[in-house]
Amino acid sequence: MATQRQSSVISLIFIYCAISSTSSSQQCSDKIDQNIVPAISSLLQHRRNITGEGSHRNLITSIKLLLQSESQFNELVIVERLPLGVFADPFELQSLQQRKVFSDVSVFGDTNLELPSFRSNRSVVEIHVDMSSRDYEHGEISLKLPLHARYQPLHDSGYSRVEFGEPDLFLCSSHLPNQGREQRRCLVLSIGGLKTEAISVFWDIPAGIRDHTEYVSAFTFAAAVLSAFSILVVSVLSSKVESCKNSKQS
Amino acid sequence: MSRGSEKTDESPKWMNFRSLLVFSMFLRVFLIIYGEWQDAHMEVRYTDVDYMVFSDAASLMASGESPYKRTTYRYSPLLAFILIPNSIIHRSWGKFLFSASDLLVGWFIHKILKQRNVPEKICTYSVMVWLFNPFTFTIGTRGNCEPLVCAMVLWIIISLMKGNLSQAAFWYGLVVHFRVYPIIYALPIILVLDSQIFRSGQKPPLEDWNTGKAKTTTSNTEKKPLHFNLLTALKSLFSRERIMFALISGGVFLACNAISFYFYGHEFLHEALLYHLTRTDPRHNFSIYFYHIYLHYERQFSAVEKLISFLPQFTVQFALVFCFYQDLVFCIFLQTVAFVAFNKVITAQYFVWFYCLLPLILPWSRMKLKWEGLLCIIIWIGAQTHWLLWGYMLEFKGVNVFLKLWMASLLFLAANTFVLVKIIQRHQFSPLFRRFRSLSPKM
Repeated sequence: MATQRQSSVISLIFIYCAISSTSSSQQCSDKIDQNIVPAISSLLQHRRNITGEGSHRNLITSIKLLLQSESQFNELVIVERLPLGVFADPFELQSLQQRKVFSDVSVFGDTNLELPSFRSNRSVVEIHVDMSSRDYEHGEISLKLPLHARYQPLHDSGYSRVEFGEPDLFLCSSHLPNQGREQRRCLVLSIGGLKTEAISVFWDIPAGIRDHTEYVSAFTFAAAVLSAFSILVVSVLSSKVESCKNSKQS
Repeated sequence: MSRGSEKTDESPKWMNFRSLLVFSMFLRVFLIIYGEWQDAHMEVRYTDVDYMVFSDAASLMASGESPYKRTTYRYSPLLAFILIPNSIIHRSWGKFLFSASDLLVGWFIHKILKQRNVPEKICTYSVMVWLFNPFTFTIGTRGNCEPLVCAMVLWIIISLMKGNLSQAAFWYGLVVHFRVYPIIYALPIILVLDSQIFRSGQKPPLEDWNTGKAKTTTSNTEKKPLHFNLLTALKSLFSRERIMFALISGGVFLACNAISFYFYGHEFLHEALLYHLTRTDPRHNFSIYFYHIYLHYERQFSAVEKLISFLPQFTVQFALVFCFYQDLVFCIFLQTVAFVAFNKVITAQYFVWFYCLLPLILPWSRMKLKWEGLLCIIIWIGAQTHWLLWGYMLEFKGVNVFLKLWMASLLFLAANTFVLVKIIQRHQFSPLFRRFRSLSPKM
């Protein structure tokens, strides 16, 4: 497992080189930047978990990563491609950013919070985390992304399973005020779509049961009609009683 | 509030209306300040999520952008406009504005009851039902705009009582633009604008509390059946007062919409108007329809199905109007309760719509607090609490309790119906206006 991880990191470094060569005319194979390779001195591992109960939970991503002290790469970027069925509230994430939980955060894609999953599209959350000592202890950084469940498609079992893939992880250099975007360097740590291991993080969300449809509709309308009829009868009777009283008094 | 209690009008000095208003004011100021502290120091915020939506929309408007760029902002641009000081002065400006409206509602309740010669003690108790209702004093301080709407509705009643039809019509057009639901009051208001009651330049005679029974011989209910006379209505339908009210209120409504459309286009039409008219929410709420809508959400409802689902609401509204329109305040109270109960979506903030009208009908109710009144309160709150327990299981524990939650909604509708029936049965019918003596034709 460790050997597989190490080889995957080195291969990913080459992937980085391929990406950065779009802005450079130099051949990547004989120009591996010595400032980049030593950036990581420990194997990359990460764990995922869904915590909490109910419709509002947290997606926990723990990343174990050791950086060289002189490394210019001190910002971790996580790109979370959320499955259909859950969403992240952009305003809640903004509030977390204001409280310095994240250094930056953005939500792309479907940000309509009210639509059920079968009427919505997927969304992507990009989180930037400053690898300061406050967040980064013993080489492990833990991120908590608050998520909310959408209403699920109907399911016979009464629950719909939402499965989470792996995030894309990048290690980037600090963004300096006078620095253009193309001058920032990023190291690709992990591409979620390339992973072929079985998905282990899932969330079972309550869903309506199709078998309920007929009698729920029938009883709903019956209740509405019965209530309306009761109010109608009492209103007419009360107004007639008042009318009789007034007739007697006059 | 039984008329038997009017014998003594002695109440402690601290309980006079002015003291209550001042105390209520300080309570609301304290809650606003506390709310700011809680928002800053606790994970669970005191401020309503909607207030953040209003504030963001106001901020966008202040920067020259459309308030509808803020997702879930579904109100008139007027609301964002009056909250612009949130971005300029302080973010709590809106809360102070809504709480001031809340106090204004209390003042209007007192004013309306005094105009009908309700004894001071009963007035005070009625006002307390609004000012000290925990739901109402938290709703404004949390940043919900409903007290503003309530204040406008009560001002419309006051304007009608003063005979100021133009003013009533103006505010009516504005409040319907602001919050669509008061459109249900159009029919009873139009019906009560009888030429035998409203004459230009004259304040319409009010049926007051003291003489409600004794003077029925001179009241407009004297020889007229209280149920609606179709033939008479058709004859007097197009009176000057009715046409004037319709034209002014309709004109104000259209003008507000036209200005909003000019600035914000189809976004305004869709978010502020059409959304409310066509809203069906599959997410759980107090309405009996939520699960039915969720189970059918993957396919669209047909026009026939939509019409059928609207029939109970339609029937109840018409029945209440034609039976009780003369007792205008009672009529619009019943209409509001029924409208909320039969609506496709029910959220707790809708309850404020009839909370502000409840104090206005209490002096005419034969229902005593012990024990009939308490029974109604317990049944209504109990049904809500029952629903909330299942809602908690679904939303915060993730247990599939859709069926039980839906049954709790049915129970809540039953509770609403029970309370409505009891209120109707115990109400001492009293028309708001009396007809002028000189002209009292047989109807």
